[in-house]
Amino acid sequence: MTLRLEDVSAGMELPTLAKVVTREQVRSYADASGDQNPLHRDDDVARAAGFPGVIAHGMFTMAHLASCLVRWLGDPGALKRLRVQFRAPVFIGDTIVAGGVVRSVDPSTRRAVLDVWVTVERDGTTEHAIRRSEAEVELA
Amino acid sequence: MPLNVARQGTTYPAISFLVEEDHVRRFASAVGDDGTFVSPTFVTAPELAAGLARVVADPDLGLDLARVVHGQQEYEWTRPVAIGERLTVRSTIESIRAKGGLELLTLRTEMRDGQDELVVVGRSTLIVRAPT
Repeated sequence: MTLRLEDVSAGMELPTLAKVVTREQVRSYADASGDQNPLHRDDDVARAAGFPGVIAHGMFTMAHLASCLVRWLGDPGALKRLRVQFRAPVFIGDTIVAGGVVRSVDPSTRRAVLDVWVTVERDGTTEHAIRRSEAEVELA
Repeated sequence: MPLNVARQGTTYPAISFLVEEDHVRRFASAVGDDGTFVSPTFVTAPELAAGLARVVADPDLGLDLARVVHGQQEYEWTRPVAIGERLTVRSTIESIRAKGGLELLTLRTEMRDGQDELVVVGRSTLIVRAPT
């Protein structure tokens, strides 16, 4: 059931969604999306580009953010727009955490705009893989 | 070698993309969705096939994939994509501009259904680093 307008207000935080990124997930994502860039498959290529090993696709991380939004919304069709900026690479073994906060709600259009992000936790440090990003959703 | 700015405005030939159930399920599994719906970003698959694959292979553009990072991505959905439908997917080089020592290439990709109704628009900005 789709999240209802009366249940959403500015300042509300989304339940965060976390997962540990595995090599298998990234390989499956390469196959399913068709993005076979060797940076995501071959450690040697990734090291030559200055990374410690293969990196996850930016779109893999964006997909995780979309999953977080859909779980909150209860309906994939309620996600109307998602714009993200990729700010930092995600490595195998990293924990990515998607989250967001409602910026505004427009009762006349039943739409809400959210600030959204994905953080990366690695060796006790946290940085943003996705930040300064925005979602627009349609509420029931 | 810089990008060929004259390619701005280029629209690549459309592709026809069938949304297959098995493909949707594999994508959902890869991104951690439960497979009961089409993941919103499943549209990345047709977008890449119609857009990135073409710009990389465009001999007149001069894009070196080894120097590219994905800077920004946007999707605007009119409705969710449905299993079994056939989308017509067409990418256009919306802009090529310089920023600092970098070049930004923005691709706009339209996905339309059998009634020629817009289903999704994707906008992808690639950052091209200067050759070292």
